[in-house]
Amino acid sequence: MSKSAMIERDLLVFSIWAVLGFGGLALILEGFSRDSYMISLAGTGAIVAAFVAHIVVNGIFATGFRPGEAALGITAFGALAIAFIGGWAVGGLSPADYWSGLTLFAVLAFGLPAYLSTRYGLRGAFSRFHVRHADDGTPTA
Amino acid sequence: MTGMASSIWLPLFALFYVAVMLYWVRLAATESASGDGFFSAGHALSPWISAVAIAGASMTGWFALGGSQQIATQGFQMPVLIVGGVLLALPGTLFFKRLWFVAERMRVSSQAEIFRVYYHSAFLVAVSVTVALLFALGFAGLQLRAIAGFVEMMTGGAVSRLSASVVLGFILFAGAGIGGMRAIGYFGVIQTVLAFTGIVVLSGFALIWSGGFAALNDGLLQLSASENAAGLFTVNGVIRFTSGLGRGGDWAEANTALANLSFAFALMGFQASPLILKLVLSTRSPNGIAAGQTWVTAGFFGAIIAFCIALTGAAGLVNRDLAFGGLLEALQADSPWFAAWIFIGIAAGVQLLAGLALFVAGEGLIRHIYRPYFHSRLSKQGAVTLTRIAIAVLAVLAMLMENLTPVTLSALAALALPMAFQLWTPLLGVTWLPWITRPAAVTGVGFGIAGVLLTEPLGYQVLSFFGLELPWGRWPWTIHSALWGMAANVAAVLIISAITNRDALGTEAREIRRLFSSLLATSDKARTLRSTAWSVTLAWFFLAVGPGLIFGNAAFVATGESGPVWLLGMPSIWAWSLGAWICGVGLIWFLSYKMEMASPVHVAIPPYEPPPRLTKDKTGEEQERLRILMLTGAVGFALAVLIAFSFGG
Repeated sequence: MSKSAMIERDLLVFSIWAVLGFGGLALILEGFSRDSYMISLAGTGAIVAAFVAHIVVNGIFATGFRPGEAALGITAFGALAIAFIGGWAVGGLSPADYWSGLTLFAVLAFGLPAYLSTRYGLRGAFSRFHVRHADDGTPTA
Repeated sequence: MTGMASSIWLPLFALFYVAVMLYWVRLAATESASGDGFFSAGHALSPWISAVAIAGASMTGWFALGGSQQIATQGFQMPVLIVGGVLLALPGTLFFKRLWFVAERMRVSSQAEIFRVYYHSAFLVAVSVTVALLFALGFAGLQLRAIAGFVEMMTGGAVSRLSASVVLGFILFAGAGIGGMRAIGYFGVIQTVLAFTGIVVLSGFALIWSGGFAALNDGLLQLSASENAAGLFTVNGVIRFTSGLGRGGDWAEANTALANLSFAFALMGFQASPLILKLVLSTRSPNGIAAGQTWVTAGFFGAIIAFCIALTGAAGLVNRDLAFGGLLEALQADSPWFAAWIFIGIAAGVQLLAGLALFVAGEGLIRHIYRPYFHSRLSKQGAVTLTRIAIAVLAVLAMLMENLTPVTLSALAALALPMAFQLWTPLLGVTWLPWITRPAAVTGVGFGIAGVLLTEPLGYQVLSFFGLELPWGRWPWTIHSALWGMAANVAAVLIISAITNRDALGTEAREIRRLFSSLLATSDKARTLRSTAWSVTLAWFFLAVGPGLIFGNAAFVATGESGPVWLLGMPSIWAWSLGAWICGVGLIWFLSYKMEMASPVHVAIPPYEPPPRLTKDKTGEEQERLRILMLTGAVGFALAVLIAFSFGG
């Protein structure tokens, strides 16, 4: 991919997350603040929409997630998970908060295999994790 | 929610915003490391990037702040605001394509350079730079002051206005000064998207807290029934022969149809300013201009103005607590994450405009004034360094003025749009009207500026300081200074063009004319539509922003048993303006595509090869020029002091 195409792709990705990512985050926080599952669900929907838009942009530019994006995503997922588990452990979560958090993590957890299967196909997605061994026992690509 | 918990979100979002900005600044600075591309992004910005950034700079921040505030305080007396998207797009439709080709042929990248190449006029170059300075110091400075005020309000005073404006100044310098034009273009897309989201979400909250669209309009209807507020929903006649504000005129009398029309002209100054042309001339192809002007600026952002900004203003009109500042304050108390997100969006829009203005002003001072007239041996890298210093100095000056001299700031801000509108005549001379001669363009702009200054506070206050009291105030006869200036401008251009030699064009100007008559010649099909184009444009202006607005006062009102009934469930003039906006998008589409004013053209433009000239050492001449400038400045200052001491107060 040319440098200018890469810049255009990055601009679109930043714009998508500026709108849908931060919007989703604000809605989830609003849902937690008001104990409203529906508002949190809207936030989760916005984050899913951001992922879908990101994947569409990747498709248009014939590329995948960049290593930095994957690292940022996994870090954010981990941080959210720790915050959620911490909140649950100290008993600060209402039922609506609890279900909102579970919904978000469930959607994100199902999202990964769903994304991999759409990008690589079911068999290919499995092969991303499964390391085949040659007859002599050495791993092959 | 505790104060601490509620105020953490704004700095958190702001930090994230600055981090993203620095990422793009670093990327842009790396690309421009060779010294090439700092000023014009290597003419390589994608058409869609330019289209989005142009739309963002043209309207987001300042329209959200000023437009909604205007409706919240003065109602729908200035419906011209609602069709702002169309008015802002119109100059670009007329000028951008042809100016892009001029720049491509002559290998220049700014309005000042186009004036120098076509007219060989140092005066027009100086005016172009002055307009950029007015935008950088006054227009953007005033908005930055408002943004700094909101920071103070949202942090409960923990961050003072002064501290906020210092931080904003640093952010501005980092964005424009380090990254240059590439950073402005790239990050401008993200800023525009953030700004548009902020405006939409804010209007959503305004709508929800007003109880929905029907409840909001019920409130407006009740307001219109009260005796004092009925005038808030109508355009107040065609013209009033008042002496202007400060001389017996007042705001209520200022909102006539002619006030609307003349303010429309002021808005049309924005895309004729050197700021927006800088973005256009940094683009690699003109093929996105038609789509950008029609669908992005007039269509999409026009819709945001016509619906979202009008709605936020209407909510503030019904309930003062829901005006722009009140909305942010309420959000900060209830949903600080939303308040932070929306605020960062609006601030991003303002930063886009302010950064662009600072950059163009800094570039103008160094590349278009200092280098060609006082230091022609300055290297390219030296010009970049000096421009960065100029941007830093201007950012500090803007910050000082925001905090120390808000009245002067306001007076300078008021000059930016009408002064930029005066540049229409030289731009028309370059692009469409070859009969405008060099002396006519120069004199016209001079007269235009005089017309603007004499009908704006800065001009008559300065004259008053010297002991000359004008019998009129601001905007006499309810006519905005933009139109007063243009009346003088056009009169001078017509008279002087008629009496000067129209064939006395420079080599470069002749080359530009050849380009327009060959590669960019209008097709026969478009030529046959000329009379239609004139008719629909004039009809649109008459009905949408001119005297025809009077029809809009009562077009959608019926008389019911218990008083007037709004047939469309909203104020008649608002509905009228929505119709005008839709027709306006059609007008821009027609001019852009059918009249081929901005339509895509797929031709390669080779660079112009100037005839070989001997280069001579200008050092002595430049030093002499500098000496004359300093002497003139000193004598002028002494004379000003003498006159003020003798006659002034």
